[in-house]
Amino acid sequence: MSAVIEAPKGNDSHEPHSEHVSYLKDGYSWSSWLLTVDHKRIGILYLLTISFFFLIGGILAGLIRFNLVSPTGWILDNDMYNKAFTGHGVVMLFFFLIPAVPGVMGNFFVPIMIGAKDMAFPKLNLASWYILITGAAFAVWALLAGGIDTGWTLYPPYSSRSSHSNVLPGVMGAFIAGFSSIATGLNIIVTIHRLRAPGMTWGRLPLFIWAMYATSLIQLLATPVLAIALVLLMIETGSNLAGAPVGIFDPALDGDPVLFQHLFWFYSHPAVYIMILPGMGVVSEVLTCFSRKNIFGYKAVAWSSVGIAIVGFLVWAHHMFVAGISFYAALLFSLLSMLVAVPSAIKVFNWVSTMYRGRITFQAPMIFTLGFIVLFTIGGVTGLFLATLGSDIHLHDTYFIVAHFHFVMVGGMVLAYLSALHFWWPKMTGVMYSDFWSRLAALIICIGYILTFMPQFWLGYHGMPRRYPNYPEDMRVLNVLSTAGYTIQGFGFLMCGTYLVMSLFSGKKAPANPWHATGLEWDIPSPPITHNFESTPRVVCGPYEYSLNITQSGKKANPDEPSEVATH
Amino acid sequence: MILQTTILPPQASEMAWHVDNLIWFIAGTTIIASLGVYAALFYFCVAYRDKPGNTGPTPRILGSHKLELLWTVIPLLIFLVMFGWGAWVYNMALHAPDDAPELYIVGKQWMWKVQYPGGQRVILAANNHDYEKEIGGQGYFEGVMVLPINRPVRIVTTSEDVIHDFGVPAFRQKLDVIPGRYTSTWYQPNKLGEYHVFCDQYCGTNHSLMIGKILVVEQADYEAWLEGRWKTGPGKNAVDGSLAHQGRQLFMKLNCIQCHGSTGSLNQSGNRAPNLEEIHKSRRPLKGGTTVTADDDYLRESIRKPRAKIREGWEPIMPAYGADKVSEEDLIKVIAYIKSLRKGETPVRTEDWVAPVGGPTESTPTEGGSQR
Repeated sequence: MSAVIEAPKGNDSHEPHSEHVSYLKDGYSWSSWLLTVDHKRIGILYLLTISFFFLIGGILAGLIRFNLVSPTGWILDNDMYNKAFTGHGVVMLFFFLIPAVPGVMGNFFVPIMIGAKDMAFPKLNLASWYILITGAAFAVWALLAGGIDTGWTLYPPYSSRSSHSNVLPGVMGAFIAGFSSIATGLNIIVTIHRLRAPGMTWGRLPLFIWAMYATSLIQLLATPVLAIALVLLMIETGSNLAGAPVGIFDPALDGDPVLFQHLFWFYSHPAVYIMILPGMGVVSEVLTCFSRKNIFGYKAVAWSSVGIAIVGFLVWAHHMFVAGISFYAALLFSLLSMLVAVPSAIKVFNWVSTMYRGRITFQAPMIFTLGFIVLFTIGGVTGLFLATLGSDIHLHDTYFIVAHFHFVMVGGMVLAYLSALHFWWPKMTGVMYSDFWSRLAALIICIGYILTFMPQFWLGYHGMPRRYPNYPEDMRVLNVLSTAGYTIQGFGFLMCGTYLVMSLFSGKKAPANPWHATGLEWDIPSPPITHNFESTPRVVCGPYEYSLNITQSGKKANPDEPSEVATH
Repeated sequence: MILQTTILPPQASEMAWHVDNLIWFIAGTTIIASLGVYAALFYFCVAYRDKPGNTGPTPRILGSHKLELLWTVIPLLIFLVMFGWGAWVYNMALHAPDDAPELYIVGKQWMWKVQYPGGQRVILAANNHDYEKEIGGQGYFEGVMVLPINRPVRIVTTSEDVIHDFGVPAFRQKLDVIPGRYTSTWYQPNKLGEYHVFCDQYCGTNHSLMIGKILVVEQADYEAWLEGRWKTGPGKNAVDGSLAHQGRQLFMKLNCIQCHGSTGSLNQSGNRAPNLEEIHKSRRPLKGGTTVTADDDYLRESIRKPRAKIREGWEPIMPAYGADKVSEEDLIKVIAYIKSLRKGETPVRTEDWVAPVGGPTESTPTEGGSQR
């Protein structure tokens, strides 16, 4: 065992000292929150922000689903429907999915998990939240002023010439929010490079950190391309409004509409991995903890994250197989898309193998994580239909796509986010939520997801196009089923929000390490003190030594059980 | 309705068969693989669940390079098979046979304008108002794009405004329609029937109404349709661009309609001349007890010199339309139209058309639907 674990030397006991108050009690004024440079408080600011936008996006999803109960549109006219799905897409992607795990869990836990006191650039960290809020303000302006009807993909020349909705503020919102993403990514990369505690080698980084590192690389390198595309789009749209059109994408002005698609997907495909990679990191944390096992194949899981991040840059044109790109380009991008599927497959196999001979318990974080594996598998394999050229011709732009990316984004990412929220909630807030209600909500949400999005695969195979408020009568049954699933999901989310908020007022006080997990974040009190650690921790082993029952700092993970290396 | 929903979508071209085979191959392999993953997941969840009194350490398993290599290489190989098969189908879907006739389709918010090699044209669209109110939720389709069975046609598309996408699920084909350039695909329908056309690329307010129908018919019917002898869609019009359709316009312009109106919509007393539906090749009793077959020459003579042969029961009041009024070319069009007229297809006269002096003045508010 000595090869794995260094004998801890002079490792101070980290019992909480009474003179250091938790970060939540370190000031109660508005300014102590709004001007904080504490990564944990900033994480909470992100949590509040994205919860708000998740609610907005969820309500817009409800408008879409209930409108589709009738083949001729039940509650919205065509324009309102178009604005509803565009609002849903823009809000959910730019203001929920992309900032969710990096903004909340990344901010809160990346420094703690590597044993740092804060992010590398605390003020930049705060600034990135303000940038997000500024971007969000533009998006909210666009929504309140009457909405945008371009779809979140913003394809010109529709968006630049034809749409009479609030394209400029909406695009400006996404453009600004992008800089928040870049700043967060930069901050996390530097933090991971420079602020690791002694002993926290690259090979001992928790897989969540690896996933965040890969995510941040994409954020840093891909988002500027989106910014370029959006600036060009704003120039064309703005010049059209000003009456002196400048042609960039509009063929009527000698522009090239497909150019925008290349630029847009050069960001927006990697952006899919910005959304899902942190979720994969969460799954690696939760699954090992509740299986009491080392991760199966640490290196494979870690490098597959980086592999996805790199190959993910080279697959964007698979969104354009029917957009008249050259046959040979299509071949290349299809092949590369196949390659990017491999690391995801590796991850799933490794996760399942991790559970082999474990001691599995089924608290809410684990149920969400199991839900992730089940639903992400479906999301992943249905991607193969779309990466394959011949089948993509038929399935492109139908509900099959809608179902596929919701399985990845919602079934995968949102479940991982909820898993993370439930896993770390005791650490973030210092209280425990209801065990019973959380398990029940996890089951309800998973069942609701399946009912919502499974019928959509079949709808897509029948050819129902996306973004259609009117559809042939014979597709009604599947649409009604899908809407029924939405209501079940919505019920689950409300339940989830209710018991989490209630736990703040009446929840049991959380111990430092409620799950007997091994990460550095569980060494410190719940909620943590402002500077995280009383003294710089010393890392003695890899992240998931559950079978040895020791944490990364060499303490017992579960104090009631024997440990291979008893330190105190 | 439930039955319609659960069955497989129609397969109306050979390409549909190829695409479906590919889809079901991918579905089969991925379903087997996923079920394997789920079975392992479920088994582990049950077999290794935490039991009371189970406090011993779990085995410290760090991984297995052999297994990882196995589940890297096997999926990769399967994915490569999918890639190769998919590329083969895509190649087929993209490249039309050299001898396929070309149909041009122009997308425009929110309709499809289909142009046939012979100049015939059809507009595909659905009307929002009709969609909701008049037809109780069923799509109301402006026109029908008719294709012959078992013949390839190459489709060349472009757009007048924004990006659209011409998708035909029954053919498993789809193509972005992009302003400023041509994109092309091809179809070879192999099953008679009526199939959906959808716009698959979001294009604004009535994106979901930029839809239509493709009707796959026998070659003979297709030719009849191109010539205007066989009609589809609202208003029972010959297809736009055919001789018969041009003749129809002359039939209106020359005021033939004023006397040879539809019997159903005018007072019987109002009709001053016989209805011309299904007149071609029928036996016509003439004044004086003889009969004649209404062939092309008879029709021509009845227009140029209407008083030469008078139909039993009608008065010789029709003015002669000599070459100064109707050229030979136009006459051919008018005759083509008359030959194409089937039961109930005579347009209804409206007040928009000025009645000739002395003609009946009653008018009906509705028109046959041809001018929507």
